[in-house]
Amino acid sequence: MSTKIDDELFGSADLQWEKLKNKLFLGICFTASLFGVVVLVFLLADVAYEAGIGIVEFDINIGQFLTEGGRRDPEDAGFYAAIVASVWLMALTAVMAFVVGVGSAIYLEEYAPDTRITRLIEANLANLAGVPSVVYGLLVLAAVVNGFGTGSILLAGAIALALLIVPIIIVSTQEALRAVPDGLRNGSYATGATQWQTIRQVVLPAAIPGILTGTILALARAIGETAPLIMVGILFTARRPPGPLDSFSAMPSQIYVWAAQPQPHFHHLAALGIVVLLAFMLTMNAVAVFLRNRYEREL
Amino acid sequence: MAHTPSNGSTSTFVSRRRFVQTTGVAGALAFAGCLGGDDDDGNGGNGSSGNGDDNGGISGTIIATGSNTVAPITDRAGETFMDEYPDASVDVDPQGTGAGFSEFTQGNSDVQSASRMISEDEIDQAEANDVDYSYYEVGTDGLAVVKHADNDWLEEITLDELKTVWEYESDVQLWSDIRDEYPDEEIHLHARDSASGTFDYFTANIIGEVGLIRDDYSATSQTNEIMDAVANNEYAFGWGGLGYLRAIEDDQPIEAVPVESDVDGEFYYPTGDNIEDGLYSPLARPLYIFLSHYSLEDRPNLIGSFARFYFNGQRDFAPQEGFYASPPDVPQENHEELTEVLEDLGVEDRVEIQPDV
Repeated sequence: MSTKIDDELFGSADLQWEKLKNKLFLGICFTASLFGVVVLVFLLADVAYEAGIGIVEFDINIGQFLTEGGRRDPEDAGFYAAIVASVWLMALTAVMAFVVGVGSAIYLEEYAPDTRITRLIEANLANLAGVPSVVYGLLVLAAVVNGFGTGSILLAGAIALALLIVPIIIVSTQEALRAVPDGLRNGSYATGATQWQTIRQVVLPAAIPGILTGTILALARAIGETAPLIMVGILFTARRPPGPLDSFSAMPSQIYVWAAQPQPHFHHLAALGIVVLLAFMLTMNAVAVFLRNRYEREL
Repeated sequence: MAHTPSNGSTSTFVSRRRFVQTTGVAGALAFAGCLGGDDDDGNGGNGSSGNGDDNGGISGTIIATGSNTVAPITDRAGETFMDEYPDASVDVDPQGTGAGFSEFTQGNSDVQSASRMISEDEIDQAEANDVDYSYYEVGTDGLAVVKHADNDWLEEITLDELKTVWEYESDVQLWSDIRDEYPDEEIHLHARDSASGTFDYFTANIIGEVGLIRDDYSATSQTNEIMDAVANNEYAFGWGGLGYLRAIEDDQPIEAVPVESDVDGEFYYPTGDNIEDGLYSPLARPLYIFLSHYSLEDRPNLIGSFARFYFNGQRDFAPQEGFYASPPDVPQENHEELTEVLEDLGVEDRVEIQPDV
């Protein structure tokens, strides 16, 4: 290193060394930022490779994979029933979480006075957003599955996922509402509009792109959640598409079941299942980005 | 070898379950109301079902828990059953024998697959929850002791050596600790965790006491992971259900190790002949399903018919999943036992499917 130049004059500025440190720091930060990308690329490449082997060596037919239910014989097995289960889950979760989440955010931002209790509620919501998903699964298992005795039905799974994402939706909706300038609200009040009219016709239209973006991102997280479904549901081969009151095995559960089978053929089905699940997730993220870019405008 | 435990009367156990069931139906109806009356068969477990099978049709959902090893057989039986009776659904959750018994003894499952007998603790728990049951043999499994294909020193293993390797506080760390001529390399041990019936069977029959195993091996609930780990490491050693070895041994560098027989002291591979002839002993074992009598009484046509169907085809289902069929007279014994149970419960005339073996 540069210490060769002047060992004795320790302490005097060594420009080369300082510049090197500068570069080193940049290098470390760059590597750190690259790390996530590299891991993601490896992950995608591995899954794509496994799925590719499944298609090439095990003759997995993608059409059949997307239109048939699960079977004991891997040659006949498909993902359709699990996909339908996940779509049902997302639909029910979206309805429940959207109503509760947006409702509470509007109350907290537009109506609630800035009291100690309001701040306590907001602090709790922030904490709820960090609660591990398995805890929501246990809650619903105790309260709904065993408490109401519904059994492991799809609706109970949707309730667990809705609970999981409600705090996220509340927080992102609050952000979206805060981004609406007070000038708009005051202008509306100046015309004699009530608070309800102001929220419905001025604030919400301005905030809806942000709210939808937050909701879709939260749903994209929910669709891949496995832990609450393990708690609430049962893991089994999804043979037939379920309804809301049937027992269910969604995409993550079906992937888990296939990965646990003895035959390697099933493991490649699981890899292809992951590709489908990722495709769902990325599509939802893309829709969120699209909405944000399309409707984001200066207020 | 079916058998009903003599304790536990069948007349008193229903009260608490009845209550749960009633609230369950109420809850399900409430939810159905919210959704605008979706009236398809929303049977999400024994809580929300109960109606609909008095009228002759076989319909509803059967929740099957239990052994990761036996699950493929029950799942195969369930799938064949569903093909024939499209209104029925058999959901098989392969979480392990112990984990499954924990659900079964709480009345949360209708059918429990098990790779070992029910334990004392589990019997107590079933009694505490008023869950009555009977059990039936559905197949035979070999437990394979496995090594990497490049491992050319381990040609056979005695029961004593197996015990020395796996017993609690075992001091075997290197291969040479087993026999001096083996390499001075660390031995990597992979096996099932304590939630598994395979674990209980191995520890009971090799070490001598259930659960008394060394605590420094890689324990997993998935037999796949054991096989993969051993196929990836020349110095690995493990054991697990034979079906999982059969599924990958042609493509992966993994082999079974001949094990000393407690019948004649010779060493045998876990082949079909050796298992069916009883020579691969003690590592061949019967596999069971347990039936909840509460479920049988509650939905006799669904659960009873599934059991009949399972026993009728059991000698096909087990081999289709890489296991061995139970001895030829077992299905008939199972049917006779089930008939007795159904008569006790007073529901034998409500089961559609009849024995045909």
